[in-house]
Amino acid sequence: MPYSFTQIEKDKTRVIGFVFLFLIAFYFGVFWLIALLVKNFVLYEYTSPGRSGPLFLLNFHDSLIIFALAILVGYVHWTCTVSGLVGKISGVLKAEPLNPGDHYHQRLQNIINEVSVATGGKKIEGMVIPTTAMNAFALTDFKGRAIIGVTEGLLARLTRPQLEAVVGHEAAHIVAGDCLATTVTTSIFALYGGLLKGLERIFSETRSSRDKGGVMALLLCIYILLWVTRGMSQLVRMFISRQREYRADAVAVRLTRDPLSLAEALYAIDCRWRGAGLAAEELESIFIVNPAYSALDEKTSLFADMFSTHPPVKERLNVLLEMAHADMENLIQSAGDKNSQPRSPVPQPDAAQPAAQWMVHRNGLWEGPFDLARLLTIEGMRPETWVQRVGTTDMKMAYEDPEIIKAINKKTGSYHCPKCAISLTTVIYEGVEVLECSFCRGVLVAEKDATRIIIREEVGFSEEVTRLAARIVEQKKIWQWGKDAIKRDPGALLTCPRCEAHKGKMIPMFYTAAYHVEIDKCLYCGSIWFDKNELEVLQCLIEHQTEQK
Amino acid sequence: MTVLWIILGLALLVLIWAVAIFNTLVQLRENVKNGWSQIDVQLKRRHDLIPNLVEIAKGYMGHEKSTLENVIKARQQAINADNIKDRQAAENFLTGTLRSLFAVSENYPNLKADTQMRQLHEEIVSTENKITFARQYYNDEVNRLNTTVQSFPDTIIASAFHFEKREFFELEDTSEKTAPAVKF
Repeated sequence: MPYSFTQIEKDKTRVIGFVFLFLIAFYFGVFWLIALLVKNFVLYEYTSPGRSGPLFLLNFHDSLIIFALAILVGYVHWTCTVSGLVGKISGVLKAEPLNPGDHYHQRLQNIINEVSVATGGKKIEGMVIPTTAMNAFALTDFKGRAIIGVTEGLLARLTRPQLEAVVGHEAAHIVAGDCLATTVTTSIFALYGGLLKGLERIFSETRSSRDKGGVMALLLCIYILLWVTRGMSQLVRMFISRQREYRADAVAVRLTRDPLSLAEALYAIDCRWRGAGLAAEELESIFIVNPAYSALDEKTSLFADMFSTHPPVKERLNVLLEMAHADMENLIQSAGDKNSQPRSPVPQPDAAQPAAQWMVHRNGLWEGPFDLARLLTIEGMRPETWVQRVGTTDMKMAYEDPEIIKAINKKTGSYHCPKCAISLTTVIYEGVEVLECSFCRGVLVAEKDATRIIIREEVGFSEEVTRLAARIVEQKKIWQWGKDAIKRDPGALLTCPRCEAHKGKMIPMFYTAAYHVEIDKCLYCGSIWFDKNELEVLQCLIEHQTEQK
Repeated sequence: MTVLWIILGLALLVLIWAVAIFNTLVQLRENVKNGWSQIDVQLKRRHDLIPNLVEIAKGYMGHEKSTLENVIKARQQAINADNIKDRQAAENFLTGTLRSLFAVSENYPNLKADTQMRQLHEEIVSTENKITFARQYYNDEVNRLNTTVQSFPDTIIASAFHFEKREFFELEDTSEKTAPAVKF
């Protein structure tokens, strides 16, 4: 089977042509019906006053005009959908480009580049959807822009070879050419599902006002039309063969030569939440596994073959396992082993190396001892201030001590801890860059990164964290409105380190109503300040919750 | 007269057929070339990463001078090799030295904990995978070219226009997909 992209890009898939014809046929049908109704009931009295019954059909001339109109509208619909298609869909999915500073994203980018080499050099972009769900998708448009997207949940939970296999599967859709057909086919109607929901809202909001009758009638028309298109998008699924998933699995194995990892990945995806209820549900065909659980998918009847977009996961696993010469038991065991890897130990910077302490000579007195981070923030601290290391007898000026000079040079971060006022240092936690205060161990996290950190499970929890989490679970089983509200003292609000310039304040709140972990969130930039252990406790709580489910 | 037309028609058919085969062969040859340049890019990337690796490792493993020197030497050989055979040998040797470097680095926990090292490790794993994939693609394309060139009747056109069989590029199998690497 040829899979070199240069050859495949040449032969346009016939499916797309069929979909275009289907679209025109659909508009022709709709317009014809409307014209029939109009001619019979509205124009009846003008056109033929002598007729006895209202039922008469359209003549050839009318049909021709309607046909021309259908082609025109169909063409406009088509071009509107197809232009910038990839951007539109990734917008609906709320997918974001990769952040090169994030270790997990970097790994995904590397994997995509690797698989791209395996296909002979097809350029593929990477994207992530910030959700805990487990799924992956591929998109291409007529301009040849190709995207492989992965959810954060998948990124955090799969091992490297498994992720490679999933990316291989998606790349297979792209190079085999069926991705373009699927992208166009699903989006031709489903893309307007979002519009439908928007209209539904407007419709219900303006129901009360009477003077908007005309607008309402128009809206109702569009509303009905969109309901029809939604039905159409179900029908259009007939064009999408279930077999394409088997084929993509096979090509993925050909690219990565690793059937077992793909089987493990599919199994891991199947065991968890795949993303039902997300905005993308209507675009199911572009995903590796149908986000919504559908009983139809698991069947093998002719009807299921026609209307379902994904083959039964079990069948896919069987095919892959046969390639890998393994059976279901092996798979469950190996997936269990690999996906519950030991956590890396809780980082304990202080325990490993007792921090050096200094005495400082200030205002004629020896003060201290201070640790390095604290030392640099002392008022009146200058390069020529006298300092003395605790446990030694020689006094030095601050600039003579290599460790202090190193720390001063490193102190490039212009952000300061809202509680201790010492400068924050950049640390990597769960693959994300966060700003940490080396004194109080609080961390400042960007809003998006907070979601990512919570999803990821690389670092283990200390005993203290698990104990705190358990206590929160015990104490407050039910959220009580009013009783649990946080008392806000305007004087005690923290200043956001990122918004120091314009004195942006952080508001204390619960991270989510379900977990009573109090955090401080800046209303300007969305940065969140977690005090020591708060972030870990939150992670621990949410993880515990998902495991129980 | 009719006979002449028939002969002319047949000649035209043969010509069309020959052109079709010729074009397929050109396509295959271009794919092989593309595959080769991919390998080239990835091997170069590997050579570029090695000095960084050695530089970082130096700071932690002072006693392992010979291992580090071997890696540098192997890299130099790989860069200087020009034909496919030499290159294969040199790259295999380089893989071997890298493997022993990583094996030795097991004894240096500080090296493993180094953030730069972890980043570099991901880069090296990625590059090794890319080399594997590029080689795989190249060999698949070479396989298709060789099959076409040797099968009848394509072989007539191939030999007339000097389309030749290509050599496979064999590298030592980095059996586990994670390259000659250790777990960090």
